[in-house]
Amino acid sequence: MKKRGIGIGVSFYGTGYGNGFPDISRAKARLLPGGRIGIYCGVTEVGQGAKTAMIQIGAEILGLTEKDIDLIHEDTSLMPDSGTAAATRQTYNTGNAIKIACENLRSKLFEKAKVELGLNSTAGLVLDSGEVVLSIFPQKRISFKSLSEIYKDEIIEAEGEFVAQTTTMDPETGQGAPYWPYTFNACAVEVEVDTNTGIVNLLRATFAQDAGRAVNPHLLEGQMDGGFAMALGYALFEDLKLEKGVIKNNRFSKYLIPTAMDMIDVEKIIIEDPEMTAPYGAKGIGEPVIIPIAPAILNAIYNAIGIRITELPVTPENLMKAIREAGVNK
Amino acid sequence: MDIKKVYMGRSVEEVVRLLGEYENKAKVIAGGTDIVIALRNKVIEPELLIDISKVEELKGIKEDEEYITIGSITTFTEIVESEIFQSNLYGLHKACKMVGSPQIRNKGTIGGNIANGSPAADSVPPLMALDSIVTLLSIEGTREISLEDYYYDSIKENELLVNVKFKKPKDNQVLTFAKLGLRKALAISRLTLSSFIEFDDNIITSIRVASGALAKFPMREKEVEDYLLGKSLNEETIEGAIEALRNSMDERLKGRPTLPYKRIAISTILREILEEALVFEKGVKAW
Repeated sequence: MKKRGIGIGVSFYGTGYGNGFPDISRAKARLLPGGRIGIYCGVTEVGQGAKTAMIQIGAEILGLTEKDIDLIHEDTSLMPDSGTAAATRQTYNTGNAIKIACENLRSKLFEKAKVELGLNSTAGLVLDSGEVVLSIFPQKRISFKSLSEIYKDEIIEAEGEFVAQTTTMDPETGQGAPYWPYTFNACAVEVEVDTNTGIVNLLRATFAQDAGRAVNPHLLEGQMDGGFAMALGYALFEDLKLEKGVIKNNRFSKYLIPTAMDMIDVEKIIIEDPEMTAPYGAKGIGEPVIIPIAPAILNAIYNAIGIRITELPVTPENLMKAIREAGVNK
Repeated sequence: MDIKKVYMGRSVEEVVRLLGEYENKAKVIAGGTDIVIALRNKVIEPELLIDISKVEELKGIKEDEEYITIGSITTFTEIVESEIFQSNLYGLHKACKMVGSPQIRNKGTIGGNIANGSPAADSVPPLMALDSIVTLLSIEGTREISLEDYYYDSIKENELLVNVKFKKPKDNQVLTFAKLGLRKALAISRLTLSSFIEFDDNIITSIRVASGALAKFPMREKEVEDYLLGKSLNEETIEGAIEALRNSMDERLKGRPTLPYKRIAISTILREILEEALVFEKGVKAW
């Protein structure tokens, strides 16, 4: 018999290392020949889109397009340490470091422009499409390219460092506020459970993710789809079958991960509630996008057939075993 | 042992001659979707591979007055795209469409599906329900064997599987198929069933049911056939057929760890093939 059910899962997740642990990101921004800007930081692209998002943050501050910026990363001989691509911390922590570095570089560019334009002060200077412009008299302007030619024998660069604020929990009571910031999300799914085969079929899903500010909404949606698919595998398919320390499902014909045919179109909702300490309000979402999916699926299974599953994955055979044990199926 | 030579076969005659010459030192490769894995895992270690993927005589689906003949290197995709399997032979279309993924269906062949001998070969139960005949060729001559008997006397080292053929269905006959896989694509079948049923005024006047992954190789399910013959399909007889199949599974798979799951899951799959046949019988297209 096929039975349908709906389930909801919610999560909040503390990003960064937390609990008072030193969590530092560093970045450098430099004026390059031809007026391009180089951003040097230790951000690692692991498919999450850091490469794009970090450039976007720098471009926003320097009044440039993404094409005008070179990101120099993933080579520790060329860049300062930005910490690990872990703990959902790069957008927030390294994003902040880049923001500070680019703001510092902007100040240096203003100082050079002041000299070259013969001004009294840097007050009223703004950046616009690769030029430093005096906002009250826009004829007074000089391009990054001209500055790079004038100062070709000098390195114009600035550093940025962001130290995350976290406090230690009370070791006795476990009380305190160990993380900052937190990321929130919620997912609802509808499933159809075949009580004869144990196959759980996803019918639809809605997934809302708080990002503080979506630096790149398309990438964020990609992260949400990816997190959903990964959690779907974790909830319903992926089973190492460990027997006495030996992995029995040691090939992909046995260790099943969801295919494109198993994935569904997820209705995605991006919540933007800017975080005051974040670069433009943006928080990390990398790990959180996986968390609420399996609980939502398990709750939906419970709603459909009245059985609480407490062990993952819910493979057809495992579900049939649970149904037999619950005595639902005669 | 490493492969020393690969022959690109140009004709059936040439391939058969090479097989006669090299026998157990040679293996035939068509789509390669099974054999490449076996080679990599060193399950087989031939000196010689004979590639038959370009042998024109082995390609395609032919129809004459009495038979439909499928050449052994016809791919699953070619069967899925064929007009012949769109109406009452839809069961074979459905089975071939559920094989692996588009890439595997583009390369994998019907002959390979039979010759590889997997109990979970998706195309075999419908071909067996159709009472198909397999044609094998060697330097000793031609051998024709029913697919049902084939697994007791399967392909020999010097033989080439040339084609598989079955009688064209009448308008009151229908082929159905259902598969239980653990995900929606690239899933090795946990169990498959196919039925070929002739109806006469609601009554089943002829029936063949074949299963996959319920034994060492695909096989006919005669208890179900015997139970349903002469009956009409309704809730009661479908339940009765499920019971009949469970009884024979209990005997055959006794003590197997997969039995408790399969004996329950079989009801969904058997129900699906019989209900599809019923929809056809009632004159409504199930597809």
